[in-house]
Amino acid sequence: MKKIELLSPAGDLERLKIACLYGADAVYIGGPIFGLRANANNFTFEEIKEGCKFAHELGKKVHVTVNIALHNKELKYIKEYLKKLEECGIDAIIVSDPYIIDTALKETKIPVHVSTQASTLNYESVDFFEKQGVSRVVLGRETSKEEIKEILDKTNVEIECFIHGAMCSSYSGRCVLSNFFTNRDANRGGCAQICRWDFDLYGDDKNITSEKPFTFCTKDLSMINHIPEMIDMGISSLKIEGRMRSIYYIATVVSTYRKVIDSYYDDPNNYKYDQKLKKVLDAVANRDSIAQFFDGNYDESTQYYNGRMELSNQDFLGVVIDYNDKYAIIEQRNYFKKGDTIEIFGPNNCLTYKVDEIIDEDGNTIDVVRHPRQIVKIPIDFKVNKYDMLRIKR
Amino acid sequence: MKLIIMPNNKDLSIYRNADAYLLGIDGLSVNQSVYFKMDEIKSIAKELKDSNKELFISLNKNMHNNDLKYLKEVLLELNDIDINGVFFYDVSIVNLKEKLNLNYDLVWNQEHFSTNYSTCNYWYSKGVNYVCLSNEITLREIKEIIDNTKMKTMVMLYGYIPMFTSKRKIINNYKNYFNINDNFNNYKIYKEGNYYPIINDKNVTTVYSSKILNGIEELDELNKLDYVLINSYGIDDNKIKDVIDCFKNRKVFFDENNDKGFLYKETVYKVK
Repeated sequence: MKKIELLSPAGDLERLKIACLYGADAVYIGGPIFGLRANANNFTFEEIKEGCKFAHELGKKVHVTVNIALHNKELKYIKEYLKKLEECGIDAIIVSDPYIIDTALKETKIPVHVSTQASTLNYESVDFFEKQGVSRVVLGRETSKEEIKEILDKTNVEIECFIHGAMCSSYSGRCVLSNFFTNRDANRGGCAQICRWDFDLYGDDKNITSEKPFTFCTKDLSMINHIPEMIDMGISSLKIEGRMRSIYYIATVVSTYRKVIDSYYDDPNNYKYDQKLKKVLDAVANRDSIAQFFDGNYDESTQYYNGRMELSNQDFLGVVIDYNDKYAIIEQRNYFKKGDTIEIFGPNNCLTYKVDEIIDEDGNTIDVVRHPRQIVKIPIDFKVNKYDMLRIKR
Repeated sequence: MKLIIMPNNKDLSIYRNADAYLLGIDGLSVNQSVYFKMDEIKSIAKELKDSNKELFISLNKNMHNNDLKYLKEVLLELNDIDINGVFFYDVSIVNLKEKLNLNYDLVWNQEHFSTNYSTCNYWYSKGVNYVCLSNEITLREIKEIIDNTKMKTMVMLYGYIPMFTSKRKIINNYKNYFNINDNFNNYKIYKEGNYYPIINDKNVTTVYSSKILNGIEELDELNKLDYVLINSYGIDDNKIKDVIDCFKNRKVFFDENNDKGFLYKETVYKVK
């Protein structure tokens, strides 16, 4: 049986490398145009080539999103753009517009994946896309376990499902709140996340008040305790949301799901869900997370009324950029100091360490690392690797 | 150019000056003011045929597996009555049209995605003969699409615009979470000086624009448009009668709560 794919977001080349090193089987990225995260850094063609080379050398794949709602003025660029992506050596494009699907299939040999923007929720729709020649469909996040099973039973293309990250509170693609409130086009990469805003709710012209204001905001998705079921169902790819997320987030989430997937494949009969993993994921979360529609549930327990938590940036202390003569060279991301007990984690390890000494770039011994992106050396007895990360020990 | 009405009332005589009607079916349609049973559709279809009016059916729900059985039944029943076309959002309907060998036309109505002429032409090549264009594109873009597609074109030029559709029952969820008990009929959300109608019915939650789109002044420029859609949701019957007359007779009007939507306002997406 083909092993399930773990698919990670990557907002730039650094995050692509982190995702691959920390256990993703494939990454999805935005190219220079036509992706739904217009305000992420996104990749130039040169960076896509470099990303593909890096990923392919590790046996990983690169998917590129081409999933905006096209306007007339962009039509003349689409064929050339798809051909350039093909020249970069990408492994798939993720598309919602059927004209782009058709053009890609006719003009290139790039496999086409139907984006979740198409809100594909039933087997007749999957069948439609299958007949057009796509190789994979990313299902809408409103599908339940039973619905996914039925789709898998009745169709033949690969099925990809989201397992982690933020949720649209609408059907994907069926929200233009951002267009109306900010003039930023939600279906062209400009979504301003109006669904996270607070509103006043009125019923028959009377203000309805309670402890917290009205919002559309939903909890995030986390399928960490459902991965074995998803593997057994025959899903092909498990997708993590978040092309705008940090390297720390990517490293933490990808490595956590990697552990779960590998543990289950190694010994499915004795696999036991480790509840500590949820805590690891919660430490980089902005909101509570649950299984959402997978359990068939979309009642009040799936909504989020408590504003935004900001935990991720506080935990992440720095990233290893080199290791020489028992000294780790660290690029700081958050304040830490001599005497702190920290964790250094990589794709396959996590070790606890007490910071006894800190040396700055000029060779001076210092007590605190307070400047963003400051480069420091700390003595560490065990070998650490480039892209290992430092976080607060909790 | 024909006028097609989304009614606010099951009594269609209110809209007798319209040329065509867009009706939703209970359980398979969303973002409608009223939903009809198949028996009602059958008798309306007969009446409309006798009065030489057109009938379109909106099956614009995001379909799940458990909708498909009823959807097939309805699609087959519609094949036996005189309708002009079915509006679709979910592509399962295109798939089923071929499988079930249905003889009526389809209308590509993916709300916010019908934004360019090449995708129109893709659907035309798949046998879809009508498109209802997005309300988030400009007048210039609408005209370009009309000039570059063989599809029959429709666009909504009057009414509140649906701008959010969710499977979640977002008002009920809020009220349940905070134990709010009320029996209000109409809900609105308020932000930055504007009220936005919000409805959560048994299928979806819908949020509408705060202003009523009014493109009557643009009718001359859109002279090649095949159908003007008027959405009567939230608008008084007498007002809608007047609106139909004005659109029929090109009597320009512009009320205080009207605006031009995105007809002259191009959206942006790169904020740098």
